[in-house]
Amino acid sequence: MPRNFESIPNSRKYGLIFLCFGLYIILYLQYFNLQVRNYSKYKGQSDNNSIRKIPLPAPRGIIYDRNGIPIVDNMPTYEVKVIPVDVNEKFNYFILSNELNIPQSELISKIENANKYSSKYLPLLLKRHLDFEVISRLSENRLELPGILFTELPARTYPSDAKLTHVIGYLRTVSEGFLKNASEELNYNRDDVHGFAGLELFYEPDLRGVDGYEYHLVDNKGIDHGILLDENRFSPKKGKTLVLTIDHGLQVLVENLLDSLKGSIICSNPKTGEIFAMASAPDYNLDSFVGPIPNDLWSNWNTDKNRPLFNRAINGLYPPGSTLKLAAAAMLLETNKVSPNWSVNCNGVYNFGNRKYHCWKKTGHGNVNLKHAIKYSCNIYFYQLIQHFNLKTWVAYMNDFGYGFKTGIDVEFESSGLIPNKTYLDEKYTSRGWARGNLLSFVLGQGDVLSTPLQVLKMVNLIATNGMAGKLNLVKSDDIEIDTLNYSNKTWTFINDAMWTVVNGLKGTGEKAKPNKGVARGKTGTAENPHGEPHSWFAGYTTLKNGKQLSVAIIIENGGKGSQVAAPMAKKIFNNFAGVKVD
Amino acid sequence: MIKEFFKRYTIFPANYKITVGIIFPILLLIIISLMILFAANPNSFQLNSFFGKQSVWFGVSIVAFLIVQSIKPHFFYENAYILYGFLILAIISTYLFESVGGSSRWIKLGAIQFQPSEIGKMIVVFALAKFLTDLRNLSSVYKTITLSFILTGIPALLVFKQPDLGTALVYIFATIPMLIWRGYKLSNLFVVFGPFISIIAASNIIFFSIWMGFVVFVLYYTRPKLINAIGVFISNIIFGTITTLIWNSLYPHQKNRILIFLDPTKDPMGAGYQIIQSKTAIGSGGLFGVGLGNGTQTQLRFLPVRNSDFIISVIGEEFGLLGISAILICFGIIIYWMINYAQITRNQFGSLSIIGFSSIIFFHTLVNMGMAVGLFPVTGLPLPFISYGGTFLLSMFLIIGITQNFINNNFR
Repeated sequence: MPRNFESIPNSRKYGLIFLCFGLYIILYLQYFNLQVRNYSKYKGQSDNNSIRKIPLPAPRGIIYDRNGIPIVDNMPTYEVKVIPVDVNEKFNYFILSNELNIPQSELISKIENANKYSSKYLPLLLKRHLDFEVISRLSENRLELPGILFTELPARTYPSDAKLTHVIGYLRTVSEGFLKNASEELNYNRDDVHGFAGLELFYEPDLRGVDGYEYHLVDNKGIDHGILLDENRFSPKKGKTLVLTIDHGLQVLVENLLDSLKGSIICSNPKTGEIFAMASAPDYNLDSFVGPIPNDLWSNWNTDKNRPLFNRAINGLYPPGSTLKLAAAAMLLETNKVSPNWSVNCNGVYNFGNRKYHCWKKTGHGNVNLKHAIKYSCNIYFYQLIQHFNLKTWVAYMNDFGYGFKTGIDVEFESSGLIPNKTYLDEKYTSRGWARGNLLSFVLGQGDVLSTPLQVLKMVNLIATNGMAGKLNLVKSDDIEIDTLNYSNKTWTFINDAMWTVVNGLKGTGEKAKPNKGVARGKTGTAENPHGEPHSWFAGYTTLKNGKQLSVAIIIENGGKGSQVAAPMAKKIFNNFAGVKVD
Repeated sequence: MIKEFFKRYTIFPANYKITVGIIFPILLLIIISLMILFAANPNSFQLNSFFGKQSVWFGVSIVAFLIVQSIKPHFFYENAYILYGFLILAIISTYLFESVGGSSRWIKLGAIQFQPSEIGKMIVVFALAKFLTDLRNLSSVYKTITLSFILTGIPALLVFKQPDLGTALVYIFATIPMLIWRGYKLSNLFVVFGPFISIIAASNIIFFSIWMGFVVFVLYYTRPKLINAIGVFISNIIFGTITTLIWNSLYPHQKNRILIFLDPTKDPMGAGYQIIQSKTAIGSGGLFGVGLGNGTQTQLRFLPVRNSDFIISVIGEEFGLLGISAILICFGIIIYWMINYAQITRNQFGSLSIIGFSSIIFFHTLVNMGMAVGLFPVTGLPLPFISYGGTFLLSMFLIIGITQNFINNNFR
C-alpha cells in the first residue's frame, strides 16, 4: 500500500469534529424544545392520547355548459363514522339507530366485527349523505356516542333542465378490484367514489380533486374535541371545473324531441367538432339518488331490456342505411370510374344473380343520374354503381369517412362500428361463401354494415367543411384538432349540392327538414332491421347567413321512414339554431 | 491459488485489541435497543419476536466483527475496484428480482434475502478511498472532485432508482468529508457541489436563505479569487431560482409525479401522520421519560414503524431527554474517536476509509433523529445499532470491525 502520507493537520480534524458536534447540538435543541419547552402541550396530547386523522373529501369539479350554466354541481351532505375502539358500554345505540335508520343489531355487529382487527383504530363508515338536521341532532347527543365522527361529504346535484344523463355519466363506490388497479397518483381510499361512465369517467383525474385531512384531538372517552393544529390541516382541493361544448337550450330541445322514443340525436359545430347537444333515449334519472349510484338501482337499469344505461349516441350500432350513399357518391366522384352524369333507368327492381333487389319506390324513379339518386335516395342506381367497384375500394372509402373507427370523442368505451372487409367476410361466411350480392346491401348501408350515430355525424361534418372537420369533443378547449379528408373540391361541391336538393328540391326525401331560416342540406335514411319497423335516420347540416353551421345526426329506432320521422325533428333543431320561434 | 489468496490476505491469529472509545458506546446503544425492543413488543421471550431476532443478529454481528479482524487491510485497498464492480452488478441484479412493496432492493437466494446496497455503503467508501489515495498530487482539483462524485454517483443513481433515496444520499454524503480529509478545500467542493444543493434547498425559501448564507460564509472564510467567488454565488442563485420557476410552472399532477418518482413509498398524508405521532411521543417523554414499557403512544400502536425508523420516538417517550442525551453522547464519542483514529492512522487508504465510515454513521444518526422531530423529511434511514433490522446491524458491525482492524494494523 502506498505510504505517500502527509499527516492530517489538526485544523482539519477539529473542523470535522466541530461540524458534527454543531449539527448534533442543533438536533439536541430541537429535542429540548419538544421535551422541555413544549412538554406540557405534548403531555396533554399524549394523555388524551388520540390524535385522529380526519379525511376531508374534496368536492368534484363542477360541470358547466358552454354558456356557463351549471349542469352538475355539488351539495353538502354528511357522513357518520365511528372509531370502533372508542365505542364503550355507554354508547347509545338507540339514538344512532333511530337517526340513521339502521337496525341496532346491525350497528352492533358491524362495530363489534371491526373491533376484532387492527382496523379498530380506523374510522368505520356507518352511513353517508345525511342532511344537516340529522347531524345536528346526533351532535347534541355526542357525549352518549363516544368515537363518533361527522364529516362533510359533497355529493353531486344536477340543477339544470337539461338532463344530459349519458354525457355526464354517474359515480359508483370503488370496489376492491378497482382499488387494486387504480393509479397511485389519485390516491383512492376505501369508500371513495369514482366516475363510472360518461364524462365523469373520462375526466376522472381532473374532476376528482385532492382530498384533504385535518387532525382532531380525541379525549380518552372517545369524544372529538375538534381540530388540533391548524398548520397541519391540509385543505381539500376541489376538482377542476369542466366547461362543456353543450348548449343548454339546444340540449333541452333535443331531449324533449326524444321523449318516450328510442334513439339518439347529436348536434355539433362541423368546423370545431364541438358537440352542442347529445341525447340518447331512453335514459335514467340522475336525480333519483344522492351520491354514487346505489347497487340495486344500477343492476335494475343494467338488466332493463330498454337499456337506459346505454349511450346510443356513441355505442348504438345501427345499419346506417341510405345516409351511407353519400360516402358511396364520394367514391364515384373521386375515382372517376363513372361519370357523375352517367344515368340508370330505375324501374323499381334490379335483377342480380337469381335474386330480385327492389328500390324503396316500387314503381321506380325512371331515369336517374347521381344527383337524382341522392335526392330521391334511389337504390337501383347504387346497385348498378357498385358493379363498377370491388369490396376493397368501397371499404377504403368508407374508412376514409371514419366508418369502422372510433371518432376519438372524449368519452370512454366508444364503439367503432363495422365496415365488413374481406377478412371479416371470409371468417363469417366460410361455409356458405360470400359474393357481390353482399356488396349490394353494403352500399345501401345494410347487411353487416354497422355505425354509431356519432360516426354518421362525423361524415356530415366532413362534407360540411370540405374535409376539414373538427374532431368531435364534449369539453371546451382552446386548440381544435382537425380530421382531414383530402378530396377534390369538385367532389365536395357535388355532394353538398346533392344534399341541398334532398332538402330543398321538389319532392326531395328531406323536404320536411327545410327550416324557416338558413340553408339546410341533408340525407335521410330508412334502415331495415330485424327488430321490426325500419330505423329512421336524418343526417345533415344547416348554414346561417353569418356562416355559422350546425350539423345533426338523428336516429329513431323503429321510427319508420327517415323522411317522415327524423327529418321534421331536424327542422325543429335547425330553426332553434337560427333563432326562429315557430312550431 | 486459494491457499495463496489466504496467505496473502489473512492474518492468523489476528490482533483482537479493542478500542474502548468506540466499542463501549456501541455496546451501550445495543443494550438500549434490545431493552426497547423487549419492552415494546409482545412475546419477547420467543426467538421469532423482534427482541429474539435482533439478539440473534447481534450474535451474528459479533462473529462477523471477529472474522473481519483476520483480513489484512491491504485486501480492501487492492480489491476496492473489483468489489465496486461486483457492487454495481449486484445492484443491477436486484432489478431482476420481484419487488417488495414497490421497491426492488433485495437479492433473493432461497430463504436468504440480501440487500447489496447496505454492504455497498462500505464498498463505495473503499473505492473512493483508493481513488483518492492513488492520486499523485492535488492538482487538477475540479477534475478530481468531479470524478469522485461520478464514482459515488453511479451506484447512488442505481440505488436511487430501486428506489431507495436514503441510501443513495448516504453514498453521496460520504464523499464530501473524504474529499476534505484528502485536502480539498470546502470552496472547491462548493463550485461542483453547491448548485445541486441549491436545487434541493430551493424547495423552501427559509432553507434556501440559510443555504445561501452558508455559501457566503464559506466564500468569506476560504477567500477564493473574487471572480470565482462571484461565479459560485451567482451560479447557486441561478440554479435555485430556475428550479423554483420550473417547479412552479408544473401542474399539480406533474409535481406529484416527480415527488412520487423521488420517493414512491411516500404517502404525504401517512408521513405527516407519523411525524405528528412521533413528535407527540417524544414531547410527552419530558426530561426523564415515562419509563420503560410505559409509553402509551407506542403501546397503543399509534406510532407506525416504531421498531425500525421511528425507534427514537419510543426512546424519547420512555427515557425522555435523558435517554436522547445518552444516545447523542454515545454517537458523539464514537464519531470523535473515529475521526481521531483516522488522523493517527499512518496510511492514507485506512485513514480515508475511517472518515468515510464515520460519515455514514453520522449521516444516519442525523437524518434519522432529525426526521423523528420533523427537521428532515421521512427518508427511511434507520438509526445505527438501535433500529430493528438484521442486515443493517450486520453492515454497521462490519464497518466498525474494519475500522478496528485498520486501527490495530496501523503500522503494517
